[in-house]
Amino acid sequence: MNLRHGALRAALLAALLATAGPAAAEGVLLTLTGAVRDGRVELTRADLEAMDWHQFATSTSVTSHRPEFRGVLMRDILAEAGAEGTSVRATALNDYVVEIPIEDFHRFDVLLALSMDGVPLTPRDKGPVWIVYPRDDHAILADIRYDMRWVWQLVALHVQ
Amino acid sequence: MTGPREWIRYLGLGGLVMICLSFLGLAAWQLVQLVQLERQMRISATENMIWVFSQTQIEALNLALALSEGAAPQQVLTRFDVLVSRLTLLEEGPQRRFLEGAGLSGALSGWRNGLLALDPARGGDPEALQAHVTALVSALRSRASQVMSEEWQIQAARLDRLGHLHRLALVSVLGSALAGLGLAVILIDRERRLMWGRLDRLRAEKLASDLEREREISENHRRFADLIAHQLRTPLAVIDSAMHRLTRRGGGPVTAELISEKAAVSREAVARLVKLTDTAMMMSRLERGGVLAHLSAHDLRELVVFAIDEQVVAAKDRDPSRIRQSLPSVPMVALCDPALTGEILSNLLCNALLYSPLDGFVDVEVSQSQSHIICRIEDRGSGMSPDEMVCAFDRFHRGSGHETLPGSGLGLTLARQLARMQGGEVTLVPRSGGGLTAALSLPREVSV
Repeated sequence: MNLRHGALRAALLAALLATAGPAAAEGVLLTLTGAVRDGRVELTRADLEAMDWHQFATSTSVTSHRPEFRGVLMRDILAEAGAEGTSVRATALNDYVVEIPIEDFHRFDVLLALSMDGVPLTPRDKGPVWIVYPRDDHAILADIRYDMRWVWQLVALHVQ
Repeated sequence: MTGPREWIRYLGLGGLVMICLSFLGLAAWQLVQLVQLERQMRISATENMIWVFSQTQIEALNLALALSEGAAPQQVLTRFDVLVSRLTLLEEGPQRRFLEGAGLSGALSGWRNGLLALDPARGGDPEALQAHVTALVSALRSRASQVMSEEWQIQAARLDRLGHLHRLALVSVLGSALAGLGLAVILIDRERRLMWGRLDRLRAEKLASDLEREREISENHRRFADLIAHQLRTPLAVIDSAMHRLTRRGGGPVTAELISEKAAVSREAVARLVKLTDTAMMMSRLERGGVLAHLSAHDLRELVVFAIDEQVVAAKDRDPSRIRQSLPSVPMVALCDPALTGEILSNLLCNALLYSPLDGFVDVEVSQSQSHIICRIEDRGSGMSPDEMVCAFDRFHRGSGHETLPGSGLGLTLARQLARMQGGEVTLVPRSGGGLTAALSLPREVSV
């Protein structure tokens, strides 16, 4: 029972933050904080669309087929934001938080996916942005330790 | 050769090999099963249905809370979006299959469409939405325990299978070990039998060679006895004839000359007998290993001169002046036993004189090579054919056409054996111009 209450409180807090935070500002899809240019960088869909897009198909742990993902490489986004650090703390819409070593983005072509199978991702699915690893290109990625880093409904990255 | 016991051993061996192979097959099958199971467990770890389901529950509660507290429309919309995304997730491949397996897909289908029909972004009725979400919360709550129970059922079944595979692995390891042990025992047993067989064969070979040796010795004794008997007869007959002549009645008076002549004949016959018995005794001692060479430095020239002198004393009927010596002026020092060397020289000289025509010379010369002192004795007899040369050193061999001449057939055999005992050798080669050259070589004394 305690657990449930705890979760509920956390969710409430997140809801409050979501309303109060500028992340919810119109058009902003991703907010980078921490060791980035000027301590804060906000990226809108237009910002992301202006960057180089990449695509690949891969199996995922939550789908049966191999969807085709399109989006921007995570390393390009970090470069765009002038990020300097060793890891990012990714936060999702539902307050899911996970730390990802920045090394991952250089070892693998990790994508910040904006569309799946040609359909833009929405918050009602796993969007608007989803961190996607090229799971089928590297055997090591078919592992729960990497699956944890597939953050969907990503809203914020804190570089440290 | 293969008796029933052998067949049983072969069958046992084949059986054990089969058992080993089948356990290996079992182990391979288990490996495949374990890999599959491991893969399933990895996928299952990723699915983590309890977490997915509880997240859905929490998001439903969050939306219910936002609606009941009259939160801002933007906030309600965010909670709505997140809840829809969770329900979308539940309807996707792996999650849907799990819920179908648990018999929950029916109870949970339709909620997402119900929600979307009341979408606040499209002006859905907030009260109807609240009622729908409340009903969803209640539906999720009643299914949560089922999801957990299903997940743990699956986990428990996997653990059971894992345990089963572990037991099977244990059985196959034990079985393989036992079969391997059996194989090892059989192989060791075979090896042991082979070794015993080899030992038996060696023993049999040794017995056969011992028997052959005994036969040879026995044959030698027989031939020796024959020969001695034969060789004894001639001198004995000579003596008997001499005695007969001296005691014959009516043959006139026995003159002093006649007595002297017959005495000489008899003495020579006796000398021959003595020589024969000496050779026989020497051979016998040699065979028993009773002759030892006492090696020391000796000038071979002196030994040769001494041997020639002996011949001169012993041989009355033949002219020993036929022996021509050609000795170098410097000492020819060999490492040898003087008694044995004298015996060899005497034998070789005796032969040379015996097989030469009465007026033929016998040449004796001594020389040295890098490592040996060599004494060559050349006769002008009829020589030997190559075949005869091959068996000249065989025991009891007599030169062809010379069977009537006195001799034991042991002389050359003895000479060679005695030479070898001193690290030397006796050889026979044809002499250019007829006859034979007998050569005795003895090691030179190594000057310190």
